[in-house]
Amino acid sequence: MGYKHIGKSYARSDAVRKVTGDAVYINDMHLPRMLHAQCVRSPYAHAKILSVDISAAEQMSGVKAIITGDEYPNRAGLYLEDRYFMAKPGDTAKYLGEAVAAVAAETPEQAQAACDAIRVEYEELPAVFDAVEGMKPDAPLIHPDLKNYKVAPIFFPKPDTNISHHYVLRKGDFAQAAESADRVFEHKYYIPHVQHVPLEPHGCLAKYDADGKLTVWASCQSPYAVRQALSVAFDLPLNKIRVISQTVGGGFGAKAGTTLEGIVIPLAKKCKGRPVKLIYTREDEFINAYVRQGMHATIKTAMRADGKILGVHNTFVWDGGAYTEYGVNITKAGGWASAGPYDIDNVWTDSYCVYTNHPVGGPYRGFGMCEIHFAIEQNIDQIAKEMGLSEVEIRRLNGLRPGGFTGMGERLDVAGFQDCLEQVLADIEYDKPSEQISPTKIRAKGIAGGWKSPSMPTNAGSAAILRMNEDGTFFLMSSGQEIGQGAATVLPQIAAEVLSVPPDKITYISGDTDHTPYEWQTVASRTTYCAGNAAKLAAEDLADKLLDLAQIKMGAAKRDLKLEDGYIVHRIYPEKRLPMADFALGISFGDGSGYGGPAIGVGTFTLENNINTDKKTGIAKNHPAAFWTMGANGCEVEVDTQTGHIKVLKMVSCFDAGKVINPALFAAQSEGAMVQALGTALFEELKLKNGKVLNHSFVDYKIPTADDMPELVVKYVEHAEPTGPYGARGVGEPLMVPGAPAIANAVTNAIGVRFTRMPITPEDVLKALRGRKMDGKS
Amino acid sequence: MKEFAYIRPKTMAEAVAARRQHGSRAVVMNGGTDIVIQLRERLIAPDYVIDIKGVPGLREIAYDPKEGLIVGACVTMNELGEHPDVAANYPWLAEAALSVGSKQVRNRATAVGNIVNASPLCDVGTPLYAANATLIIAGLMGEREVAIEDFITFVRKTTLGPEEVVKAIKVPPLRDARGIFSKVSRRSEVDLSSVCATVLKVGREFRLAFGAVAPTPVRLKATEALLNGQKLTEALIAEAAILAKTEVSPIDDIRASREYRLDVVGVIVKRSLSAWL
Repeated sequence: MGYKHIGKSYARSDAVRKVTGDAVYINDMHLPRMLHAQCVRSPYAHAKILSVDISAAEQMSGVKAIITGDEYPNRAGLYLEDRYFMAKPGDTAKYLGEAVAAVAAETPEQAQAACDAIRVEYEELPAVFDAVEGMKPDAPLIHPDLKNYKVAPIFFPKPDTNISHHYVLRKGDFAQAAESADRVFEHKYYIPHVQHVPLEPHGCLAKYDADGKLTVWASCQSPYAVRQALSVAFDLPLNKIRVISQTVGGGFGAKAGTTLEGIVIPLAKKCKGRPVKLIYTREDEFINAYVRQGMHATIKTAMRADGKILGVHNTFVWDGGAYTEYGVNITKAGGWASAGPYDIDNVWTDSYCVYTNHPVGGPYRGFGMCEIHFAIEQNIDQIAKEMGLSEVEIRRLNGLRPGGFTGMGERLDVAGFQDCLEQVLADIEYDKPSEQISPTKIRAKGIAGGWKSPSMPTNAGSAAILRMNEDGTFFLMSSGQEIGQGAATVLPQIAAEVLSVPPDKITYISGDTDHTPYEWQTVASRTTYCAGNAAKLAAEDLADKLLDLAQIKMGAAKRDLKLEDGYIVHRIYPEKRLPMADFALGISFGDGSGYGGPAIGVGTFTLENNINTDKKTGIAKNHPAAFWTMGANGCEVEVDTQTGHIKVLKMVSCFDAGKVINPALFAAQSEGAMVQALGTALFEELKLKNGKVLNHSFVDYKIPTADDMPELVVKYVEHAEPTGPYGARGVGEPLMVPGAPAIANAVTNAIGVRFTRMPITPEDVLKALRGRKMDGKS
Repeated sequence: MKEFAYIRPKTMAEAVAARRQHGSRAVVMNGGTDIVIQLRERLIAPDYVIDIKGVPGLREIAYDPKEGLIVGACVTMNELGEHPDVAANYPWLAEAALSVGSKQVRNRATAVGNIVNASPLCDVGTPLYAANATLIIAGLMGEREVAIEDFITFVRKTTLGPEEVVKAIKVPPLRDARGIFSKVSRRSEVDLSSVCATVLKVGREFRLAFGAVAPTPVRLKATEALLNGQKLTEALIAEAAILAKTEVSPIDDIRASREYRLDVVGVIVKRSLSAWL
């Protein structure tokens, strides 16, 4: 279709501000009379807080306010209200690093000195450091009150256990499939905790005015979700809380939900009128922000001799950490998608979210998909090898096609998986063995597929407001946050297409709950789709209003008028045209009277017929998922058999994007996703010992550098999403999903050893090559 | 971090006097890439920080074919690694200097600071051990010179006196020398060594220095004795690789296991010596 602005690589609208340093982050903000906050944190992974003595700290110079857990009347949480923002005296600290007190003082140093003077008495308790152990009946209970917690009705905590959600999927009959199968396999995998490592650490600044208005500046993905959590936690009406998130220096999920905001607010309340600021250090980021949950996977697979997958039985055990208010939904998402992008008749899945005394698990790009696909996609390669079949043919035979059914039993009319798989096979030349350059550096190729749907409430809403200025420029207002993914560029592009004006005539404004309209969250790869739909509807609403006015002014039927390049143009007599700007303030007549008023468009979007699955079986009644985004990666690696180092030489990606709104931004997302996957496959792991994070800085937590960049090839196919704006579906997270298993499969193809645990380190490679026992590795 | 007084002496005599006056309540700051981290993490809490960067002459690199190389205390890793005389005569030392951290860190970090910090995995340690370098140390009684092997005594321990400041590193001239610096790390850039090493061939003499495999960088004397004066063969190299592993005592830590480090010592010996087959 002939689009003017959709499918064009417009430059990022936020680029100049970020490159020049004009963009204002929380840490750039210095308000008059601002105070600084610091926290006292638990040195134990699990301990009862017997007492907190602040008397000495109160007397110290510069100290303006001190809070303890007693300040928190209510538990809060996104899906499961299981946390105060600070451990309460009499209750327990549930991870090593949990805040137990906080101080606001004139300088950060004074605040720190006061924190050092706060005396906390603890009674150390037995702790849970392994999710599988934590499920056992005799495991120490981390949340004895779980049965009384408020929980969204789609989650099922098991009272008097550490299991905060047990997701169940029962499609068909796995037992029967296994009985009729030619071969049945069982494979196990483990994925450790990782951290998002956004460039900008979390930060928050809060000010509580005398009239009871609370303003919170936060680097967050979801200002409305933060507002909601604060409202619940502090019994504040929503019109008295204003959350502003002006620039977000990377989120990747870490800045979804609410973290440090809850610590700053009570301090600000006690220092009426004086703003209080808390900035996380990089070390905090690794311990006290969200981390990606660890996960133990067991996959049983019933196979027919020809490679047809008759059934799978998945058991996923997620290490949710101290609080799982968000993690329960990752557990569910992993269960939803547990069949992978394959059409399988019998799918049984049990996915457990388990409390442990580890840092708090939370959303991370992929929302469970990177974890489950590390298992699913290696499982296929392992089965192929053990059955003497081709891993490509197994994927071709079982991969979803239009008209196929998901693991939850949804019929999919659009499914580009097979196209993506073929594209990737061609681009990596999978049928051509790698050229070997050295006897000690072995090269090989690998592939993997993947898919993801947005794991959001079925009724999650988005709104947009489009204001027209007198000169025919616009402000598009939404709370779909620019977190580096390109929202501030793509959403105006969508509105520009409707209005037929260049996107640079539309300025994007977001991130202010007092001014920009409701957006559930900037997560779930939903912004282009949900906020994009709202932006499109707002533009259509505005266009409709302009045409209403134009038909009066131009004396033409509305159906004969259209918007074109900044004008309202008669479809039959195109010389009959007026600038759109003429209608910005309504229209006026010869006698001086006016009509219509300033032009403004409103768009609100909630996906219709998005219905929850059956509670008992997990089976879809209609469409529980807004859409499924699917694709594949291929890669070529080189393994140094003497030092064990793995170099990824090339990665190729192809996904079905429905419609690519901005190809340059799509490519940036795809490249970033592949490199982030590479990091988790080869380097990244939060090393935990008795609940302590041993590598809480970049000294020992490594992410890829420019030097590790492979050759990257980005492709896409476009099978339109029926409910998406211009056919677009979300891609930001799905693009990362197949990367790590593709690398793992390539490493196995190079050296003949299978690694069922990430990351695959030089040390693991050498041990495996020498046939040594992989101690400590499950 | 705790408040401290910042002292910036203008001469070496002032620096030494400040050391004497404040003793253990003071630390010497050079590039700051180790000290600032220790301050921030509250591993140290000095009352005084003596910044020697204002002392004239410490930024100099001097080379003379007869005397060798002098590297002033405040010479940064980038200055050392990019110096033409160093690149021409001690390329393995230049490579080691440029393997430290990131470009930004190397703009601050100094070679002398790397040695005084006395980490077992200091990247410029092994080339200096292999080159039989010495340290020139200023004190109340004037200057003294000490072999680097006698200077670093244990993890983060040196023989530097409480009233002394290191002034320079002296690297003797090496005739007919070839060398290979190796650094095996988890990631190829901006990482600490899991194992680092310098293997030198000076005439018919071999010198093997390894880092991160013992409490200090170490010379593999028995392996050197095995190799000295011999013609390299594949069999001899294989024997050397096995012997080398017996001369180190690596530990398990977050970066690598003892077992992996032992493997890598063998691989580095083999790869380095094989280059001269």
